[in-house]
Amino acid sequence: MASDSILDFAAQLSHAPAVPVVEERELRLVVFRLDHEEYAVPIQLVREVVRVADVTRVPHAPAHIRGVMNLRGRILPIVEIRTRLGLSRAEPTPTSRVVVVEVAGRTVGLLVDAVGQVARIGERLVAAPPEEVRAAGVEAVTGVARVGTRLLVLLDLERVLASAPSTAPSAASQP
Amino acid sequence: MNPGTFLVVDDSKLHHQMYQLIFSRGELAGSTLLHAYDGRAGYELFMAHPELTVVFLDLNMPVMNGLEFLHRRQAERLHPQVPVVLVTTESTAEDEARGLEAGAWGYLCKPFAPEQLLALVGRASSRLSQRIARP
Amino acid sequence: MTGPDHPFAALLAEYVAECLPLAEEVVEQSLTLERAWRDGQQADDLFRPLKGTLHTIKGNSAMMGLTGLQTLAHRLEDLWGVLADEPASRDAGAALFVRGTGLLADLVRATASGPPPEGAATDYLEEVGAFLVSDRGAREAAREERRSPDRRTADRRNPTASGEIGADGAVATIRVDSRRLDALLESFGEAMIAHAGLGEAMRQLNVRRRSTAEMAQLERAMLGLDRTLKRLEGALMETRLLPIATVFSRFTRLVRDVAHSEGKQVRLEVAGGETRLDKTVIDRVGEPLVHLITNAVIHGIERPDERLARGKAAEAVITLRAVQRSDRVILTVTDDGRGLDPEGILRKARAIGQAPAVETPSLAEIYALAFLPGLSTSEQVSHLSGRGVGLDVVANSIRALSGNLSVGSEPGRGTTFSLRLPLTVAVLRSLLVEVSCERYALPLADVAETVRVHPEALHQVARQGMMTWRGEVIPVMDGGLLLGGGAAQSRRYCVVLRSAARHRGLLVDSLLGHHEVVVKALDPSLGRPPAVAAATILGDGRVACILDTGRLADGWVEPVATAAS
Repeated sequence: MASDSILDFAAQLSHAPAVPVVEERELRLVVFRLDHEEYAVPIQLVREVVRVADVTRVPHAPAHIRGVMNLRGRILPIVEIRTRLGLSRAEPTPTSRVVVVEVAGRTVGLLVDAVGQVARIGERLVAAPPEEVRAAGVEAVTGVARVGTRLLVLLDLERVLASAPSTAPSAASQP
Repeated sequence: MNPGTFLVVDDSKLHHQMYQLIFSRGELAGSTLLHAYDGRAGYELFMAHPELTVVFLDLNMPVMNGLEFLHRRQAERLHPQVPVVLVTTESTAEDEARGLEAGAWGYLCKPFAPEQLLALVGRASSRLSQRIARP
Repeated sequence: MTGPDHPFAALLAEYVAECLPLAEEVVEQSLTLERAWRDGQQADDLFRPLKGTLHTIKGNSAMMGLTGLQTLAHRLEDLWGVLADEPASRDAGAALFVRGTGLLADLVRATASGPPPEGAATDYLEEVGAFLVSDRGAREAAREERRSPDRRTADRRNPTASGEIGADGAVATIRVDSRRLDALLESFGEAMIAHAGLGEAMRQLNVRRRSTAEMAQLERAMLGLDRTLKRLEGALMETRLLPIATVFSRFTRLVRDVAHSEGKQVRLEVAGGETRLDKTVIDRVGEPLVHLITNAVIHGIERPDERLARGKAAEAVITLRAVQRSDRVILTVTDDGRGLDPEGILRKARAIGQAPAVETPSLAEIYALAFLPGLSTSEQVSHLSGRGVGLDVVANSIRALSGNLSVGSEPGRGTTFSLRLPLTVAVLRSLLVEVSCERYALPLADVAETVRVHPEALHQVARQGMMTWRGEVIPVMDGGLLLGGGAAQSRRYCVVLRSAARHRGLLVDSLLGHHEVVVKALDPSLGRPPAVAAATILGDGRVACILDTGRLADGWVEPVATAAS
């Protein structure tokens, strides 16, 4: 199963004419940029995209939390998604945005370098993540999709947020 | 715990005898017990005796019930130093809240054992001595 | 049952003398009622005295330990209630009631020669029980029918509010869905934040332009808004306050049940039930209190034989008390049990590497260790564990309410847990400070004083900062180190925090004045950062963390700070 991609599977299907072709599902994804790579999350999870306001640091918060931001009177935790994906931390630039997502009943903001347009791609175009990605321990990547010359990295947000190691207060205690 | 002066306001003769029994033994033997059989008579005694150690006040009484007693006492600010214990049968939380709001110092629920009453007196009188020690 | 050992056994004759006339009166009145109903009269005037008499018989029987009679009188009261409320039930119920009162009188009479045998009224009680249950459905339908049609329409139109009409025809009280109150509070919070934003904008305007007529007008309007918001806040908070007695009332039963299953004798005494707290606090303080009280019964209180051996009364007392102190309410749970074991706590704290930094910690400091995670579930201090809930969990739920938990104890004499809670959870009077370019709000109730730092008053003793303050040497913490904002530098001010254990200083860069801030809970994704209790939105729209001063003052996050240094 490890190296079998969905594309291979789809190719096999096309050689079996007796099976009626099921209409292909289309994915609608919000695409954002981190460094030079493009990442995508299902549009159903995205509430809105907002400019980066002042982010207040919360002392001793978990490492993947950059801080909190005022979103129209509501206090929104900002997730440092860069470090969650193994990238280095970076300060916001003028193109930076906060992608507000609702995952597992919680609303958080993802700090990203830029946000692109919504992409519509056929489910068939999604392939399993390359071995190297999995080897790197980035479990949150669920697949990659090739759209023309672009490569979109699909993220499972629940994993991005849930697998974060918790820094409980006691963990910060003396050695 | 030393003997003191106690006022019992209750419309049940039986209850007065029970108090008598309790106060006739142990450390409190020798205490003075004042008796009233309705709220109004009780209030008159209460007015005349600022030295009371504790007042035991039945909630349900003819003429003037326990709550009315407490409300009047609160309005007149009469002897605020005297702890008044409201005595009830299976009171509801609402009853208790109202009693305490009206200035009852404590609650005693029927049926109570003599030790319960004694413990309450102990706490009430230690509160008094503290008050005197730290004016 | 009134055996010869019963404290009031000598009063049995007195009991009959008092209760028999009462019981006979009840019989008489019930017969009169039954006749009146048969003739189609309401006879409502007879009801009230009947109920009072039954109540007295019940109380007296209970005091005498005559449980059979007590139960019978109680059941007759229940039956009375149904007959009084629901005329439809009278056809079937009146005869049953009359029979019951006759039985009551017979049993009281028989008591003259000794307590009636157990189960003397069992058959009758079962019959009453069946009547009360079987008829309920029909009775409820009838009650619904009696409500006027327009009232029902009104209820449907507006299901979240209902009213009671006063004597003058005006609505005297209305019942409002508490969610509406919550929504109101939230809107108020938004208004407060907008107001703060307005104030901030005005401050900047003022800097740029000097006083003009328009500015003066704006200034006046702003002052008016200030006052109105203050009044609105007061009124809003007032509607949300409930007496703590609503929470206390359920503990009598809890204590009885837990004590019973543990084979202990425990009595719960309650004081200050009239003390009022915000509904949110009331709703959320019950759970931690259940844990504290359960722990006290299971671990704090000795078995009756052990108590007697120590010269204590076999029956233990747990006292639950509430008092208000300025804008805080203090709840205490006191038991007269064996007390905490300071040596045990210290031993255990050392074992998990959490020993206090101080060479000879005070008792208060040792007891504060009991709230560390993993400590209270140990065997050495098994006193503190209970049904799987550690004290750290209790402390955390109190902290979530911007309150704090402390403990005092006297070996052999007992333990007192104190919960300090804010009156309201929505708006907090606070001191705003700046540390390493971040602003933080400190609850004013926990600030003893702010002082200008004189370098010569600061000392380092064994890597612990110390400062003399009012002739006392108190530990001080660098705000930057503590809050992870940067290396220690010379900070200009010290905020002296008070706690149950001792005073402690927090060094900050600047003081930004007193502010009323709207408290917003931290999102669960932020975990439980030890130094932060909640957050707020300041006038310029930025978020600031509200520090958990109670915890800071107790030095709970200090290990973090020293590890970082």
